[in-house]
Amino acid sequence: MKPVEVIGIDVSYGAKKVLEAISLHVERGEILGIIGPNGSGKTTLIKAMSRIVAPENGEVHLNDRNLDSFSFRELAQQVAVVPQEISIGFDYTVRDIVMMGRHPYIGRLSSGTARDLEVCDRAMHLANVAHLAGSSVNEISGGERQRVLIARALAQEPKILLLDEATSNLDISHRIEILNIIRSLTDEITVISVFHDLNLAAYYCDRLIMLKDRQVFAVGEPRDVLTQETLNAVYGIDALVKTHPLTGKPYILPVYGHTADHQPEEEGVHVICGGGTGSDLLYALHREGFGVSTGVLNLLDTDYAAATALGIPCITEAPFAAISPDARDNLRRCIDAAYAVVVTAMPIGQGNIENIRILKDYRDKPIILLCGGANPSFQDYVGGEAEAIIRELLDRGAVTAGRIDEVLQVLERMD
Amino acid sequence: MRRTALITILSLTGILLASMACAVILGPASSSPGALFALPNAWKIFWDVRLPRVIVAALVGCALAVAGTAMQGLFRNSMADPYIIGTSSGGALGATLSIVLFAGTGRPVFAFIGATVATFTVYTIARQGGKVPVETLLLSGVALSMLLSAFLSFLMYTAGKSLHQIMFWLMGGFWNVSWDDVRIAILIPIGCLVIYLYARDINIISLGEEDAIHLGVNVERLKQLLLFASAFLTGIAVSIAGAIGFIGLITPHVMRLIVGPDHRILLPAAALAGGILLLWSDTITRTFAGDMPVGIITACFGAPFFIYLLRSRMKA
Repeated sequence: MKPVEVIGIDVSYGAKKVLEAISLHVERGEILGIIGPNGSGKTTLIKAMSRIVAPENGEVHLNDRNLDSFSFRELAQQVAVVPQEISIGFDYTVRDIVMMGRHPYIGRLSSGTARDLEVCDRAMHLANVAHLAGSSVNEISGGERQRVLIARALAQEPKILLLDEATSNLDISHRIEILNIIRSLTDEITVISVFHDLNLAAYYCDRLIMLKDRQVFAVGEPRDVLTQETLNAVYGIDALVKTHPLTGKPYILPVYGHTADHQPEEEGVHVICGGGTGSDLLYALHREGFGVSTGVLNLLDTDYAAATALGIPCITEAPFAAISPDARDNLRRCIDAAYAVVVTAMPIGQGNIENIRILKDYRDKPIILLCGGANPSFQDYVGGEAEAIIRELLDRGAVTAGRIDEVLQVLERMD
Repeated sequence: MRRTALITILSLTGILLASMACAVILGPASSSPGALFALPNAWKIFWDVRLPRVIVAALVGCALAVAGTAMQGLFRNSMADPYIIGTSSGGALGATLSIVLFAGTGRPVFAFIGATVATFTVYTIARQGGKVPVETLLLSGVALSMLLSAFLSFLMYTAGKSLHQIMFWLMGGFWNVSWDDVRIAILIPIGCLVIYLYARDINIISLGEEDAIHLGVNVERLKQLLLFASAFLTGIAVSIAGAIGFIGLITPHVMRLIVGPDHRILLPAAALAGGILLLWSDTITRTFAGDMPVGIITACFGAPFFIYLLRSRMKA
């Protein structure tokens, strides 16, 4: 028995199709996020599940029971909705508004029992608005008003909570506060929420459903749904999908501006980098249309993630392993093929010393050190050997560059 | 909050009863109890003229105020009022039809039908995608009112009625009120009670229709019920006293400032205040103004109030 099951619904507004053949289900106690670009039908899907709009075809079931068979009161006892925002024309107090959440439980001739008041107080406490109980809803801030709507929804004692971008208009601290409140409720409540912010969706949702052009494009755990490919296909953006260092959830870094729209050159530049020192350089070279290769990088390196995201060929090594003879051979081939090598100011240890040691063999290859000034300093963890190699390269005529655009100028002059 | 509300309701009840006592005594023929009972036909004036008129004026005021309050909540729009959105004109045209065609038989029924048809017509015209925007509501109400008033004037004129009578239906008045009218006006408390049973629902629908559905309100049924009940109250009021304006606009507004927006308190407060307001308007016109149509008085303070509301709305 699923709390909510949507079975092949189509929804139209007049002649305009808004949803087509949508099916989904949600498990008890889960947070399901609905994501997708503007106009993909997210809000309409919420409206179909709360019976604001009726599907043309298909059905919505709550606990195996057709939504249409519920009376309005019964439905409001099962499902509560937190809208994006509402404008309240009259000066109700916060308590008035929250108490309206008890409406489906209170008879026509009654004005509510002690239990109704108790539930209402608990809801205000949970949503952290108890101190505002007597204030007018028009005199409190947007974040507070949104929490009042959450309190009202909780006062309905729902089994299912639907949120339609309930936090979109709030600043980041209020978003986190409200989403934390909501996540703390999932022992009793199943949550379905529309998200605009993909990183919040990735963090707070157990599963995501991604809509595109009125249809379901992808469903699953955040790390399966939020990939470079789906983001490109659905939102039309280039983005890096990384793992949040603290939460282990995916997070998305959009690549702003254009990536290369022309074929990179055959002859290229080899970049030796690591530890995140090369990402922006790789992006700049890629954007300017240089043929680029990089490595050796280990698989956990952020520069590796950047290279993969940009589609730059990369010689890799297993995490925490020193550079193997195989990798070194590959590196040699790449450097042979490149007309110049750029080395960034990365930390150098036993693991990656081979990357620069190999440069001693290339007497005639142009080498650029991107190191923030004329006196390059590398973090040397190999007892001076790295420093010695760099000095030797400089003595042999390696060029230093302080900024990325200087690197680009040097490379263009070589062309 | 509860206590202040209770005090307000009790005070308003007291004021209404006191006003009724004063109004019975005041009139063109007398201005004190002594003067009233010194008149040769004192009993007749008291019992057959003033008492029914006072009762009816108070009840009609209640009806218009409650209908206005319900409409303002329903449309989420504090400028709605049975006179402005055309309900009253519909009722007046219905009453006129019964007079012209059937010599006044079934006047309240015709007025109710006229009021209902007018209300639902305006509602249908003004509704856009599930919402009733203020501007279209007011404009379609005004347009329909003008049309219906023209019909009414045409009917009366061609039926050979005097301008005085046309004026009665357009501006309203309590000239010929008798105990028969009191018997019809008894229906007013019933209509008010029906609306009061839905006070909590009105609170909720005043947040918006979708929100009301989320909170378990059967919105379509509630709208129909409230529009019917408002048209019922307005129809009764109009069939007795013609189309009196602005009571349904001002009273809910002022009372909302005093008791807050909760319709469980606002509705009775507005009902009492509407009764007081119209009773005094009528008493002033019959005592000091040669019994001109009471609608002139209510328009004199109602229309500027309406303009003020429009201005403050535009600023906001």
